[in-house]
Amino acid sequence: MTARVPVEDGYFTVPDDPAEAPRLLGSRCPACGEHFFPRRHVCARCLAEGCRDVLLGPRGRLWTWTYVHVPLFAKKDARVGAYGVGQVDLPEGPRVQAILLGGPGDFRIGMDLELDLETLRTDDDGREVVIFRFRPVDGAGP
Amino acid sequence: MRLAGTAIAGSGIVRFGDHRRRSTAELARDAGLAALHDAGMTLADVDEAFVGYIQPGSLLGVRAMKELGLTGLPVTHVENASATGLVAFREAAWAVASGRARVAMALAFDKMTEMAGGGGRSRGTGRDQLDATILPAAYFALWAQRRMHDRGTRPEHFAAIAAKNWNHGARCPWSDRQADHVVTAEEVLASRLVAEPLTAMMACPADDGAACVIVAAEDLVRARQPGRRLVRPVASVLRSETYSPGHTFLGPVVGPATMTRDTAAAAYEAAGLGPGDVDLALCHDAFANEELEYYELLGFCPEGDGERLVETGATALGGAIPFNTDGGLIARGHPGGPTGLAIVHEIVHQLRGEAGDRQVEGARTALAHLVGGGSVCTVSLFEGTQ
Repeated sequence: MTARVPVEDGYFTVPDDPAEAPRLLGSRCPACGEHFFPRRHVCARCLAEGCRDVLLGPRGRLWTWTYVHVPLFAKKDARVGAYGVGQVDLPEGPRVQAILLGGPGDFRIGMDLELDLETLRTDDDGREVVIFRFRPVDGAGP
Repeated sequence: MRLAGTAIAGSGIVRFGDHRRRSTAELARDAGLAALHDAGMTLADVDEAFVGYIQPGSLLGVRAMKELGLTGLPVTHVENASATGLVAFREAAWAVASGRARVAMALAFDKMTEMAGGGGRSRGTGRDQLDATILPAAYFALWAQRRMHDRGTRPEHFAAIAAKNWNHGARCPWSDRQADHVVTAEEVLASRLVAEPLTAMMACPADDGAACVIVAAEDLVRARQPGRRLVRPVASVLRSETYSPGHTFLGPVVGPATMTRDTAAAAYEAAGLGPGDVDLALCHDAFANEELEYYELLGFCPEGDGERLVETGATALGGAIPFNTDGGLIARGHPGGPTGLAIVHEIVHQLRGEAGDRQVEGARTALAHLVGGGSVCTVSLFEGTQ
């Protein structure tokens, strides 16, 4: 099995089992219980210090979305000519903006989405470099 | 706190557009000289300068100022994304209001033709792919889509706003876009789809340009410019985001809508004015749907009534509260840093009664609004007096 590494450490998990959904790496305030993504030290709600690491997701609800008809990463990566973008409300509270997997007709506000990993490239050590995306949960189509 | 004892001494602009053959220092010099000439001053009269740009590179402001002269004046750099110019103006206005300076200059320049295609500062490829790859059109489109879901807004509303601003721009000599025909909402809707529901003609162009505003003590301006109508800034407020549950931290975002509402409320309170006192407004219309939201957030109609303002033409020239009389970001253009000073430049013309065939009849009070990077908002209020 090909090894997978995150495009950047500290934002999401990369499970050993490719069938397992990734989770987002967030924070929870020990004082007021507010959740955040990405991780932070100072609570944005009550200003307490020392937020603790917590896993968020993998499911969320689509708050809003669009479909972009301009290449992703502009000139740097024109392989993706069009793509979906959404804001996804996690049950823990944070609203996460991310690229959506699917076609222009696959999304509607309020639908359930699940985290997934997409391979961006293979690095010099032959590992797949992955980034998190959201995709519609099977059967949750418009 | 109300801004007191200050007035605009002069303003100048280098028409926004494609200036890729000219250096930013040259653009800045020409805008600075235009403002100094308008004020009847040289750099020797200026006590302090605030210089803004959003392109990469440190101390470009001080270098640009040297093109106007080397008088030893203090120069402070200001950067707040799209709000940069209006924030530089705020610093200049308060420098004078505080008594620290008698004359202060706000100058801004940028070249978006050199920034396009991801030429900005990199924070490493991994972080960039998590945070910066999403096109501005996309995150404003996210806002538009939610509005359509919540309020039944139609793309035609956004198109009507864009068409209005294209047509306002055709009446403004320094507007980048000068349509040779009356632009219709149908034409805007039929242009290339960028991010649902936003089309290319609903978006601002990528411009180069420079603009400059000189603020001075009111008595000094009165003495030097007898017979000219006085334009006084009466409030200038800057705010950043306030946390509320569901806040989006990662990625380029529009920012919480409350930011504009809170900033406007603070500016109205400082000036002792309300939306009903305002005769014209210029706002951040990088995408047409923003302007619709700001009708409500700036207090010009109740929440949910923005569409009615579009349908009745209230925000077009000749309407009750004209918005973006110079064409706004969509037509006049949006080079980044200078945009806020172009807004003040237009307000100066309107309140002096020198806005030609786009003059708002009897304009006495004007509002300037910009947001920057989804993280800051600034609002200034101006009064024109005899």
